[in-house]
Amino acid sequence: MKKIIITISALLLITSSLLAGEVNVFSSRHYDSDVQLYKKFTSQTGIKVNVVSGKDKALEKRILEEGKDSKADLYITSDAGRLGAAQAKGMFQRSSSSILKKKIPSNFRTSYWYGIAKRARVIYYSPERTPASMLNGLRYEDLADPKYKGKVVIRQSNNVYNQSLVASLIQNNGSKKTAEWAKGLVGNFARPAKGNDRAQILAVAAGEADLAIANTYYLALMLSGKKGAEQKAAAQKVKPFFPNQNDRGTHMNISGGGVLKYAPNKANAIKLLEFLLTDEAQEHIVNNSYEYPMVEGVKANELIAQFGLNFKQDQKTKVSSYGKKQAEALKIMMQAGWQ
Amino acid sequence: MKIKQLNIWYISSLFVSLLVALPILTVFLGFFETTTDYFSLLKNTFLLQYISNSILLLVGVLLLSFLFGVGAAYCISFYDFPGVNFFKWALILSFAVPAYIYAYSLTAFFENYGTAFTILTSLFGEYEYNKYIPKFDGALGSIISMSFSFFGYVYILTRASFYYQSQNLIEVGKNLGLSSRQSFLKIILPSARPAIIAGLSLVAMECLSDFGTVSFFSISTLTTGIYNAWISFDDLNTANQLSFILLTFILILFLVENYSRGRAKYHQPTRGVKTIPKIELTGKKSLFALSFCSLLFFFSFVFPVSQMMYWTIKFPKYFQDIDLLSLNLNTLLLVFLSSFCLIIFSFLTNYGNRVSQSKFLNYLSTFSISGYAIPGVILAVAFITFFSWLSDFSSSFFGFASFKSLFIGSIFALVLAYFVRFFSLSFNGIKSGYLKINQSIDDNAYLLGYSKFKTFTRIHIPYLKNNVFLIGILIGIEIIRELPITLILRPFNFETFATKAYSYAAQDLLEAAAFPSLCLIMWASLFILFISKYILSNK
Repeated sequence: MKKIIITISALLLITSSLLAGEVNVFSSRHYDSDVQLYKKFTSQTGIKVNVVSGKDKALEKRILEEGKDSKADLYITSDAGRLGAAQAKGMFQRSSSSILKKKIPSNFRTSYWYGIAKRARVIYYSPERTPASMLNGLRYEDLADPKYKGKVVIRQSNNVYNQSLVASLIQNNGSKKTAEWAKGLVGNFARPAKGNDRAQILAVAAGEADLAIANTYYLALMLSGKKGAEQKAAAQKVKPFFPNQNDRGTHMNISGGGVLKYAPNKANAIKLLEFLLTDEAQEHIVNNSYEYPMVEGVKANELIAQFGLNFKQDQKTKVSSYGKKQAEALKIMMQAGWQ
Repeated sequence: MKIKQLNIWYISSLFVSLLVALPILTVFLGFFETTTDYFSLLKNTFLLQYISNSILLLVGVLLLSFLFGVGAAYCISFYDFPGVNFFKWALILSFAVPAYIYAYSLTAFFENYGTAFTILTSLFGEYEYNKYIPKFDGALGSIISMSFSFFGYVYILTRASFYYQSQNLIEVGKNLGLSSRQSFLKIILPSARPAIIAGLSLVAMECLSDFGTVSFFSISTLTTGIYNAWISFDDLNTANQLSFILLTFILILFLVENYSRGRAKYHQPTRGVKTIPKIELTGKKSLFALSFCSLLFFFSFVFPVSQMMYWTIKFPKYFQDIDLLSLNLNTLLLVFLSSFCLIIFSFLTNYGNRVSQSKFLNYLSTFSISGYAIPGVILAVAFITFFSWLSDFSSSFFGFASFKSLFIGSIFALVLAYFVRFFSLSFNGIKSGYLKINQSIDDNAYLLGYSKFKTFTRIHIPYLKNNVFLIGILIGIEIIRELPITLILRPFNFETFATKAYSYAAQDLLEAAAFPSLCLIMWASLFILFISKYILSNK
């Protein structure tokens, strides 16, 4: 009798999970916290989440080559330009969800992909050496001014965040002006472009440079102490400055995802996207990756909120335009001698 | 082609050589596809710089690897000094530390507010130390990381070769009235040449196809150009073309070496290897040998491992997130399956080449071993492209069901791709052993009525046993630390220590990457210890 009960309950368990099914995610976000979030989703819905993570281009290639045989349902990556490029290659299918439409501001979604969280690419300075008043009204465009000669650091041109930033400048100021700007900026470098975003912030803390361009969440990561007391102390010497407040606003980028063309589990993929935009999931994301929430009403983590949440975000430049201009952006940077 | 050549050995060598050459062929097809203007852009901007950086890196790494590898092998094989038995195997441990993990350690120690800063602060109080701490990045950092990580190739192969020829040659030198330096330069070094060259060519291929280390240190090389073509310009064809040019360059080096070696036969007499006591060093010379080996051991192994341990202890919370059991199982499964296949087929191919003595086969296998010289990710992409094409082709022409899921995103796919990637390592390792078995031994065996199969199992396998174990170490370690192929081709929810360490590094948490890196190093070290103990006890 006992055996029968065990067998039946095991069968029930299997069938229920089979009925609820699964969803297969290809993600270029490597956060462990994302995996924890997927586990929450599974416990709420019974839908199993399978993940392959990797570099975005490699994942894209695999999805494209697998074609109709691909088991991947959802592709998640952390740059709007990449999402745009994937869309241009016909990797996504249109998906509609009234929930997603309602929750995500229109600039951060298309009918093919949806933003999950936001990040800003800002300027870092050391208040000890550079009073904030000196930066008043500073724009990305101003960083090419010769008065900043030998003072600016930023990472290499092959970095996708830089490509999206420069793509947005091309979108707003045109290619010619942006090319001049890039030349001026390279002339102002305190050192050849190297290291990741955090290394730029550390360079300002250590006095190697006065201004650094980097994403917001890197500072919060250092302030959190997850990287040790020294990095935390170094981060406390540095503050973010939100540029272009008097015109279009600070450059924004997103993490986002879209349902793939041959997704075998389309409905589950949309369910997962919707879950990622619930308040619960958004809180989990902002408290682990220190990105800005996509959904109104959810508060950013205190480490990032302390620098102000009311800054003007660039909503004028469509994030969906980054993808089309990234290659040109890289060309301009390379021609300017930006490593 | 003579009919008698078409035996089972010939056919299986041919098959393996072709299989390994397929992805390279796919890369070559990049020349017939449309490209963007990336190459002309590169030519007008950074191409010269990329090339000169690649050359700088190659020369630096080869020089240091030669110095470290041959120096250590020479000291340890011919002389007796304090600790020599320890260094004999301890220096192989350097191999357990991949260049990218070495790079993490180097940066972690010397970066602004890094470990050196912490140590200085706790010793001498707070001060602006950042300005005074040297920064090992860029070309220097890359050369250091790669040399300490790769010199093991040269060391292992050279020492194995010294082992077989050792005392005979020093005796010969003495009889000729040569000093030990003269014996080294005129007799020992030239006779170890095939092993040294084999080691250095592995180092060269690793160095030129590396992306992890150079991108971590932001130094742009030809590999950076290959990556940017694909990643930033979406121009896989230019990436393939550039890879192929890089490959051709390496291939030419190979052929030149092969040709120049072809003139001189390096068969060793198999009789007469007797163990004579080593020359005992005293005074300054002994101190020099001891310091050389100690420093080498410290910088190649103790330093990176200590940095990883320091992080693991300092950030214990990152332990929790790691599923140790599955990581161990996955990593070991891949290692065993792949080394098994590689060794079996390298034997087959080598033997096939030997018995058929076909020039065509010899050239083909030289060509096919170059899977190692293409950057891993390009090889993986070529692999995916090829099998996806093959599946589509056979579906549309023969109506076969699609077999993509077998070749993409499965364990089988991983093993097959590793096979293509590391075949050169395994093939060459066994070949260098074969070069030492005089052809007359085979001839004698045939005269005694041994079949080819019997010659293979009774004579070649026992003779090459140590070689096989050495190759086993090399492949095992390569697979434990392999990253780009594993990342792209793996099944869902499948992690190895290398992918886990990478995923932390990618979210800028090198601290969390320390623990999986340490596990990776420990496994590789255990592997080395186990096998070197076996080999040493057999000596």
